[in-house]
Amino acid sequence: MVEITIRKRPHAEAVATQRKFFKKTARGKVVKVLRERYLREDVPCGISHCTICPGMPGTTLPTSGGQGHKSYPHGHFILPDTNVFLHQMDLMEASQLNAPVILLQTVLEEVRHRSLPLYNRLRALVKAEDKQFWVYYNEFRSETACIRLDGETPNDRNDRSIRKASDWYKSHISQVFGRNPQNISTLPTVLLLTDDAANRKFCDAEGIPNSSVRKYVEGLKDATSLLDLLSAAGETEIEPTAALVAGRGALYPEYMPQANLVAGVKAGHLHQGHFNANPYNYLEGNVTVPAHTKPVLLIGREHMNRAVQGDVVVVEIFDEKEWKAPADAVVDQETTLKNDDPDESEEEPDDENALAEERERRALVRENARKQPASSERQPTGRVVGIIKRNWRAYVCHIDSTSLASSSATSLSLQSVFATPVSRFLPRIRLRTRQAPTLIGQKILVTIDRWDATSRYPEGHFVRALGRAESKEAEQESLMLEFEVPYRPFGKAILDCLPPEGEQWVVPPKDPNNPAWRNREDLRDKVICSIDPPGCQDIDDALHATMLPNGNIEAGVHIADVSYFVLPDNPMDAEAAARGTTVYLVDKRIDMLPALLGTNLCSLRPHVERLAFSVIWELTPDAQIVNVRFTKSVIASKSAFTYEEAQIRKDDPHRQDELTQGIRLLNSIAIKLRQQRMDAGALNLASPEVKIHLDSAETSGPIDVEQKQMLETNSLVEEFMLLANISVAKKIQETFPQSAVLRRHLPPPKTNFEKLQDILLKRKGMKLDVSSSGALAASLDKCVDSAFPAFNTLVRIMATRCMLSAEYFCSGSVGRDTFGHYGLASPIYTHFTSPIRRYADVLAHRQLAAAINYASLHATLHSKTHVEQVLSVVNRRHRMAQMASRASVEFYVGLALKSRGADKDGKPKEVQEEAFVIRTFRNGLGVFVSKLGLEGLVLFKREIKFDAENYTVTVPQPKGKEVTVAVFDKVTVRITVEKDRNTQRGVVKMVLVEPVDTST
Amino acid sequence: MLSKSEKSYIRTSLLSEPPLRADGRSLLDFRGVAVELGVTALANGSARVRIGGDAGSESGGGGVCGTEVLVAVKVEVEDVSGSVDGGKGRMACNVSCSPAAYPSLTMLQLDDFQSDLTSILDTTLGCSSLCPTNLSIIPRKKAWLLHVDALVLADDGNVYDALFLAAAAALHDTRIPRTRPIEYRPNNARSQASADASDDPMDGASGLDTHAMPKATDFELMDYWDEGEPLVCPNGMSWPICVTLNLVPPLFYLDATTVEEDATLTRLLLLYSFSTNSSNTRLQGMRLLGHGEVEANLIKPLIREGEKHAKHLNQSLFAKLKSELTKRIPQIVPSTKRNK
Repeated sequence: MVEITIRKRPHAEAVATQRKFFKKTARGKVVKVLRERYLREDVPCGISHCTICPGMPGTTLPTSGGQGHKSYPHGHFILPDTNVFLHQMDLMEASQLNAPVILLQTVLEEVRHRSLPLYNRLRALVKAEDKQFWVYYNEFRSETACIRLDGETPNDRNDRSIRKASDWYKSHISQVFGRNPQNISTLPTVLLLTDDAANRKFCDAEGIPNSSVRKYVEGLKDATSLLDLLSAAGETEIEPTAALVAGRGALYPEYMPQANLVAGVKAGHLHQGHFNANPYNYLEGNVTVPAHTKPVLLIGREHMNRAVQGDVVVVEIFDEKEWKAPADAVVDQETTLKNDDPDESEEEPDDENALAEERERRALVRENARKQPASSERQPTGRVVGIIKRNWRAYVCHIDSTSLASSSATSLSLQSVFATPVSRFLPRIRLRTRQAPTLIGQKILVTIDRWDATSRYPEGHFVRALGRAESKEAEQESLMLEFEVPYRPFGKAILDCLPPEGEQWVVPPKDPNNPAWRNREDLRDKVICSIDPPGCQDIDDALHATMLPNGNIEAGVHIADVSYFVLPDNPMDAEAAARGTTVYLVDKRIDMLPALLGTNLCSLRPHVERLAFSVIWELTPDAQIVNVRFTKSVIASKSAFTYEEAQIRKDDPHRQDELTQGIRLLNSIAIKLRQQRMDAGALNLASPEVKIHLDSAETSGPIDVEQKQMLETNSLVEEFMLLANISVAKKIQETFPQSAVLRRHLPPPKTNFEKLQDILLKRKGMKLDVSSSGALAASLDKCVDSAFPAFNTLVRIMATRCMLSAEYFCSGSVGRDTFGHYGLASPIYTHFTSPIRRYADVLAHRQLAAAINYASLHATLHSKTHVEQVLSVVNRRHRMAQMASRASVEFYVGLALKSRGADKDGKPKEVQEEAFVIRTFRNGLGVFVSKLGLEGLVLFKREIKFDAENYTVTVPQPKGKEVTVAVFDKVTVRITVEKDRNTQRGVVKMVLVEPVDTST
Repeated sequence: MLSKSEKSYIRTSLLSEPPLRADGRSLLDFRGVAVELGVTALANGSARVRIGGDAGSESGGGGVCGTEVLVAVKVEVEDVSGSVDGGKGRMACNVSCSPAAYPSLTMLQLDDFQSDLTSILDTTLGCSSLCPTNLSIIPRKKAWLLHVDALVLADDGNVYDALFLAAAAALHDTRIPRTRPIEYRPNNARSQASADASDDPMDGASGLDTHAMPKATDFELMDYWDEGEPLVCPNGMSWPICVTLNLVPPLFYLDATTVEEDATLTRLLLLYSFSTNSSNTRLQGMRLLGHGEVEANLIKPLIREGEKHAKHLNQSLFAKLKSELTKRIPQIVPSTKRNK
């Protein structure tokens, strides 16, 4: 027989050092990945004064462990498993929880695999100064490295690895401190924190100290406040209580497995998209999917299947004959579910629940009973079959006081309550808290933990209180949280990027060798001024104009040279990119750049020298551009006007100084520029803008609301900014065709206008031509009702709502034919003129500086993907900022109404305003109060006749007469701000007074 | 290259009584064979085989390199939705030779030689009778494609036997990742309802009923950490083993060194596969190499002879592989208590 021998390296060795696994790539290939690891014996334990481990700089765990836990008098370290971080991150972040934490590498990696946001929070926690975290690299130490056994699941392996490390710490501590026999009984404990009952059983068998999170927290000093932070997702999942199992059946269909969803979407059977709730009807939502032009409609709780606003969901679309039209009634969850009991899952379904279900069913049946809608109104209809990604965050809520058990109104016992989110897009959240009575009337932050198929509502936990509802601070903070505005003060690393001179910084004396003056034009003697709204501190633009000897006109726009101070790729730049834009609330400005730059060094204040980036045109008297040049410059503004001051100065015939003449010159050109733009088909859009008068900065006392006034000078500044932006856009697109930062406004799809066209035709007999922006502008101009001057504005507002929003984009990532700006009727556009408050402008500045060979372009701005990525953040921030400032205005309008409504003796007085009907519902009207810029809902208490085809509702009068109200009708409404008794939420209530009083 | 007289000397010694070989072996003796499994960690299966050199004994040899072949098997997901053969997966073989193994050959000659080796490996292993039955991932849509890549590191004669030994060992070592098909089944009740509504009498009875068709569209890995399952050879056969009969009429001898190959005019390659219990033998292929002549009536007894030797080789290979593979299962390595 042939002799065959085997020679290979010992298998045991390879098993310990190699980790092999397969990975399926996005393209469906399977890749084998091999990781080689090197086991060491000197990975430090992190306990200070450890005599065995080599000393390591940085935070170390206190020698005697954490104190202050009843069960562990000799001190303890906690060693949490992965699920603790996945479910109880709020608890781990709480400042009251100060025990030293040993974070295992196994845990850290598992958290990273499961959730990136949580991983980032965990990383921040490890670095936090008030926390004692030690990352122990257990997989790299030979004693604690773990090899997967045959047939062991990855989860079991990780659990075993955690137990192994825990055991190692135990023996390590006894070796370090146990030399002295009397110490033995007073050693600190390393406590394995896990909510997995099976894992705890193993621990008990192996003699490893362990505890569930709840049990551990109960032994702490601040147990009551900490227990509220416990997430609902913890215990019951792994330790099913008999009550839950025996409880009610599933209310919602189960989700499909993730893999099936992906396969279904790939095969085109299922569709993926973002879930949008309907703010008027909590039983309805929709999902925009690529396969259909109209969003997919989801009707009823069951079909929405636990999706929450913003989640990425997968929907199944029904057969076309089951498609429906969106409901036309307003269904408010507060009234429908008034008496629902938050304890439902723990008790037998009682009458209240049955009642709520019944009410909901009726609301749906009413919808279904409607006559078959016209096919044009029907939308694809479907149901949610699974969730790809939850986009849950912390929500600002109020506690619903009726959900409190009445007997325990003052007790500190644990009870379930409902929290109603401020946003109408969200369902109520059930949470268990001991502090319910104290939280009533406060704004609180609540996170959703889970939403089981057996639970009608999502379950969450309390994070922190923001303060009394309607107090300015609480409202402000809740606004910023709700719209994810980053409002933390700038950190040290960011402030270190500012010039060291601080407020004292000045433009250095002219010297071509000074870097500040390199290639800079000296424009200090030009007669430059700025025109801004009153009280403006961050002046980022200034203008000048003079006659040239050849009869042409030289006009210049000077923009603050922010890119001189904000250099690419430093902490300040990164922060500005992340903030994206300055957010203006009524009484607060959240800056994108530190105030030193925004309001001083970059602000083009009068009478001081400032660095600027100038765009200078030579224009013919007919406002045709002869040529344009761009240059970095030094300017000294001669004056800072408000719009009003500039207007008065211009109109004053006695003023003949250079400054006034400059303004007149600018104005004459602006008028021509505007005409050119209008001829090209630019839209004159309207959005309801109101101005809030604050009595003084300190008090929130009497305030008033007025509509913003448009002066000639407003339009002057606007025209020149548009001109500058367009000129810059052309230049940077020419120079950097692949990566230029541009802004565009896509033409809206024609279907967006269908409804408005139909209303206009049926109600007013007017036609809207939407074939192009010019045609639209022309037909909007014709929408005039002589009896009704505000009608045109109203139509413009409604038309604006049909359009898409403008967005930043990278020139290399979309087709050249889609660069256009629809609203401005310009083939190309960018933002250049407000670098202090918009990050896209900073990028445009850098690109323009490179285009004129002033500086070389930072490598990241050459990269299409990088620019795309930055701009997607900026676009999102921009949207959020707009919504935040709108919400802030709304809040103040509410306050103003309240103060206006209150008599001198404090008796409520009625506020009556004119309003226009903009929408009709089965049971109400949508109205717009133009004077207050306020949109509201009028609900009818009695039965009304609703004509969906003709957009009218007919309200029967007691005497048998009938009054018909249609869209565009002028009505009078009585506006009151009512505090919802349950939630303490200020709600604007509108009641129709004219033509028919519906208050009774 | 040997001179005529050298060749004649070697031939004469082989034919003398008793036959004489330079390394003292008898005609049917093999040199020592070493097999190493799992040599490339990133492949799904791999083996290195060395014949002769210092492989046989740890001590002896002293600089004799022997014949060495490395085979690595890598699996790849292949889209088979358009293929005519039903898409059950396939094997693609390639052999390359290190130029160091053949210093006397020019690059062109080496290319020729490589394609000779590739062709014999590919036609033998790629045969549908040997295609593993568990290569399908999603029927008619996706299947594994096995890349069998061999590298001849050194050649001291008998490279064909070494090549097939290494391929058989590597295929034995190969593990296919376990997969699970993912299918999307539309809401059954709903589709049923619409089927009823169509009121088609042929519905259900039709032979073209598409409902029964598997709708799997994609697959997922069942366990990222698991190496997977071994290949299943159809009909319980083993991977083919090659024996080269070096013909020096009227004799033949086995496992020729390069020098002996040079002196031998004709070589007969015989490829057999065996069922696991060795009761069943199948001749997978044969090739006649060289420029000598062999009479047809001599072939039959040679095949019978070859089968005997191939069976021996197969048995000793599998005895080794078996003991090796049972050692594979990971065991807890007790961490040495260094602290004590």
